[in-house]
Amino acid sequence: MKISGIKYLANQGIENIWKNKMMAFATFCVLLISLLLVGISILFYFNMNSMILGLGNQNEIAVYVETDTPQERVDEIHEQIKNIENIDTVTYISKKEAYERMQKQISQGKEIFEYIDDYQFMPDGFSVTVVNNDQLRATVDAITRIENIQSADSSPQVAEFLRELRRVVTLVAGAAIIALAVVSMIMISNTTKASVYSRREEIQIMKYVGATDSFIRTPFFVEGLVTGFFSGAGAFFITWAVYRSVYNVVVAQGMLINAFGAGSIIPFAEIRIPCGLAYLLIGSLVGAFGSVISTRKHLDV
Amino acid sequence: MVELQNVSVTYSGGVDALNNVSLKINDGDFAFVVGSSGAGKSTMIKLLLKEIDATSGNVIVNGYNLGKLKKRKIPEFRRTLGFVFQDFRLIPSMTVYENIAFVLRVLDAPLKYIRKRVPYVIGLVGLHAKTNSYPDELSGGEKQRVAIARALVNDPQLIIADEPTGNIDPELSYEIVELLKGINDQGTTILMVTHEHDLVRHFGGRIINITNGEIVYDEVVTGTNCDLLPEVELAQAMENAANLHHEYSMPDGDIEENDIPYVDDVIAAITSTAKENGGAEK
Repeated sequence: MKISGIKYLANQGIENIWKNKMMAFATFCVLLISLLLVGISILFYFNMNSMILGLGNQNEIAVYVETDTPQERVDEIHEQIKNIENIDTVTYISKKEAYERMQKQISQGKEIFEYIDDYQFMPDGFSVTVVNNDQLRATVDAITRIENIQSADSSPQVAEFLRELRRVVTLVAGAAIIALAVVSMIMISNTTKASVYSRREEIQIMKYVGATDSFIRTPFFVEGLVTGFFSGAGAFFITWAVYRSVYNVVVAQGMLINAFGAGSIIPFAEIRIPCGLAYLLIGSLVGAFGSVISTRKHLDV
Repeated sequence: MVELQNVSVTYSGGVDALNNVSLKINDGDFAFVVGSSGAGKSTMIKLLLKEIDATSGNVIVNGYNLGKLKKRKIPEFRRTLGFVFQDFRLIPSMTVYENIAFVLRVLDAPLKYIRKRVPYVIGLVGLHAKTNSYPDELSGGEKQRVAIARALVNDPQLIIADEPTGNIDPELSYEIVELLKGINDQGTTILMVTHEHDLVRHFGGRIINITNGEIVYDEVVTGTNCDLLPEVELAQAMENAANLHHEYSMPDGDIEENDIPYVDDVIAAITSTAKENGGAEK
């Protein structure tokens, strides 16, 4: 086919949007709503996941070094812990810091400290966080195996609970997203079918004058592609506006919300590009192929 | 050329629509196919358009054996035909120009050629003033003329007209058949299905009557319209029509709008000559 022919078919697709504006608008709305339903559900799931992971990261491992270990060896241990897989942060807590912490924690019995004039009896220690809370136990074991480590304590129950919570959230969110995606596909399919059905005679006439299937389908493809692209763009801007509003509200709650891991909510700036691309790509492809597939039934003339 | 060799069509419900039909329509023929409803006319049209396949026998149209024609070759085959339907079947979202140009677009014709050819064909059917009108802005007769223009724009070997006068006023019916006759004079084979016996009687020619799926009559008859004009003037009118269409096949150079004669003008000339000679009205 000549370039002028391709240009003609592409123009036809764009012109058809205007000529069939009511049906095009219906398709646009259905695609927009479908993309929003699925898109926001996926973002909600990502954030839930991120919050649970955030909570997991707060689950620290308290590592204590034997009391008579020299400082050089403590520094070596620091490096050894850092090199263990799955370690996120390692914070050194000196004897003095440990002593001060203890003083704060035992606020009811300050008198005890009047009889203690030195903090040298306290062990050096480390506060360790992990990347993946699911591998907490293995990480604790690895730390314990290091020489001069007196103990490494964590709360495996918390890790277990968070792991279970993530599993449940993944299952529920996954099922919801699949259900929404299926409902969306049915809605989109019915709308595009209705749109194409209203032009079935046009398709038949084209067949009678010798148009090939691809010649007939190309304008429908372009039409669906453009409609889907704009639906994707619309869904992206709505998501952006809603997401930013919710994010600002949550961030404004500050410390209170942080206790529930809300501090791990993903800022929109971080997901803006992949989110936008996904909306545009999925919108365009669903629009284009939905439209083309719907023509199939009417091409058999 | 159209050839049906011992063709039978039995629908899935067991209805025999065509029963061992054999028929040959040569290049350049003008044939009327008549018959009552349910006689098998529509089935024959569907066969010729390769919409359905014969249960048995061979259907050969423009050199294509339709029984052996692969699905992907159907568009190529249909481009050798022109169709005119009772319900016009114009694309409502396209103007007169776009409807006709669409056929050439399908053929991937050069844009320059489309720009010359389409106005020319629109002129032939006398619709210059309606070039940019949409189908719903046209009368029945005008719509059918657009359909005829669309059928002949790609210079097909065969035009199949299925009840082309079924949805238009009786007086316009004659005009439409005149138009088809004029196209036939240039060598295009015309197969016209109709149930309007007055029309057939008036024009005459080859008449094929299908009844209960069988051809019961296939003869060439003389039309009563010969009485309308004295023989010499009729011959002159036909010659005019022939000259009129001489150029329409495929112009090489640029076409000036004024160069394009109108079929309407010739038809008007024929009618006025008939009146002047005191001939019977149609």
